Amino acid sequence: MTFWLLLTVNSITFGGLLFLLSAGFSLIFGLMRIPNLTHGSMFMVGAYLGTSLLGGTSGFTLNFWVAALIAAVEVAILGALMERLLLRRLAGQQLAQVLVTLGVSFMAADLCLMGWGGDPISVATPPHLAGFVRVDGAAFPLYRMAVILIAVVFAVALWLMLERTRLGAMIRAGVDDPQMARVVGIRVSQLFTIVFALGAGLAGFAGIISGPILSVYPGLDQDMLPLALVVVILGGTGSLLGSFVGSIIVGFIYNFGQALLPELAYFVLFLPMVLVLVLRPQGLFGGQIL
Amino acid sequence: MANSALELHGIEAYYGDSHVLQQVSFRLGEGRLLGLLGRNGAGKSTCMNVSVGLLPPRAGSVEVFGATVTRLPPESVAARGVALVPQGRRIFKSLTVRENLMVAAHAGFATSHEPWTADTVFAMFPRLAERRGQLAGYLSGGEQQMLAIGRALMANPRVLLMDEPSEGLAPQVVAEVMATIRKLKESGLSIVLVEQNPKLVFDIADDIVILNSGRVAVVSTAEQLKSGGVDLRQHLGVF
Ligand SMILES: Nc1ncnc2c1ncn2[C@@H]1O[C@H](COP(=O)(O)OP(=O)(O)OP(=O)(O)O)[C@@H](O)[C@H]1O
Ligand SMILES: [Mg+2]
Repeated sequence: MTFWLLLTVNSITFGGLLFLLSAGFSLIFGLMRIPNLTHGSMFMVGAYLGTSLLGGTSGFTLNFWVAALIAAVEVAILGALMERLLLRRLAGQQLAQVLVTLGVSFMAADLCLMGWGGDPISVATPPHLAGFVRVDGAAFPLYRMAVILIAVVFAVALWLMLERTRLGAMIRAGVDDPQMARVVGIRVSQLFTIVFALGAGLAGFAGIISGPILSVYPGLDQDMLPLALVVVILGGTGSLLGSFVGSIIVGFIYNFGQALLPELAYFVLFLPMVLVLVLRPQGLFGGQIL
Repeated sequence: MANSALELHGIEAYYGDSHVLQQVSFRLGEGRLLGLLGRNGAGKSTCMNVSVGLLPPRAGSVEVFGATVTRLPPESVAARGVALVPQGRRIFKSLTVRENLMVAAHAGFATSHEPWTADTVFAMFPRLAERRGQLAGYLSGGEQQMLAIGRALMANPRVLLMDEPSEGLAPQVVAEVMATIRKLKESGLSIVLVEQNPKLVFDIADDIVILNSGRVAVVSTAEQLKSGGVDLRQHLGVF
């Protein structure tokens, strides 16, 4: 009983991290019509930058949440630069843009290896969240509960931004009909930068806050990117609700798969993706960005 | 002679390798209504795409109130005061009625008319006001057309391009749309009205341009055409 409960909590926690990772991936896909293959790198770079801010390598020690926020802002700036300096020059050439994101992801992996070395870096759980919540004899790690809460708060904040602000309406208009959005005067290329920076920042934030759970290691980027891809294909591109539901589903499949069928974990993970692509290519929530 | 609101000059436009507009030139005078006619595939919508910057021409120029906008991106052309009610309406389906208006809002160009806001658009189209919170994708065809017109007005344009606004609408709704266009013309807006059906245009237009296979076949005033100087059937088919 406790085993199942813990597996469930772990699945939801992982789903929350996946949501922070894939919400931006999905928005970028919806608006710019490209899978951003640096999204896993942004997750990993955020994690590495966070570890430095936490005092591992740079000599000073910041509070965990302050470090996480700074790392997120740094990755957001990197994302904005990448959109402005590289992707914008290739506006309208989607294949070239995808290849640029692929190239940058390999370059980022090498730079991280050079900067932080090849050994995994473990991230200490923030001391105030190191305990457990005890319910009926089962002990739930406090930090994982906090991650779930953070994911829910971000989901609500993103939803409010998309649904209740003029900026959000412009983003949705750009997802609906990018050409018409430009004709009515919306600067869609500015939206690209904003959404790219936002997505990068969220991924970087997810990277560092996943540190105490996953630790940080070379190859983390290539472990996370396919998961974001599965989430977005299940949920449908450009759909916030889709990312949310898709993340929870993948969180469960991934954790239960690893616990019950460890040798088939990837088979179990990618089977639903292949089925959705073949049977319902717009995704479970495709077409709406809600 | 009145100022030019919009002027196309020697436009050569292509989609890939197919040459769609050849030497197209016409001129919309300030405060006038130009009816742009032609049968299916004549190149009317392509003229609109060139005018708003969606399709940069290979040669020729587009001027808005004397300033060249050729090859400017669409958002910059919009900032010069050109708004489009596109063929097929193309409202943002996943936005509410009100959001469709808000994303297009701009101070634009002061005219004698009071500036267009969501409130003034709702006053003109009360049925949109009733549905302001609904997703635009659920509106009827006529309501979507009104929303497309309202969205274009939100930019407070000085040139309004309307591409077949009567297409697919019931006769009674068509009459409503035409009455709206008449009002907009009276407010001093310079308008291009694209139509396949010349009957709708002749009463309301000052000038007429007929396209045939991507070339300008006729340039005339509506008066002259009504008095029967030109064989319309030759250019427009049977109607
Ligand atoms: N995106 C496109 N790619 C390639 N060819 C196109 C494209 N759009 C239009 N065409 C072609 O260009 C020509 C002119 O099309 P256009 O849409 O301007 O005609 P139209 O006068 O607006 O016709 P309709 O009354 O049917 O709307 C047609 O032969 C059409 O097939
Ligand atoms: Mg057309």
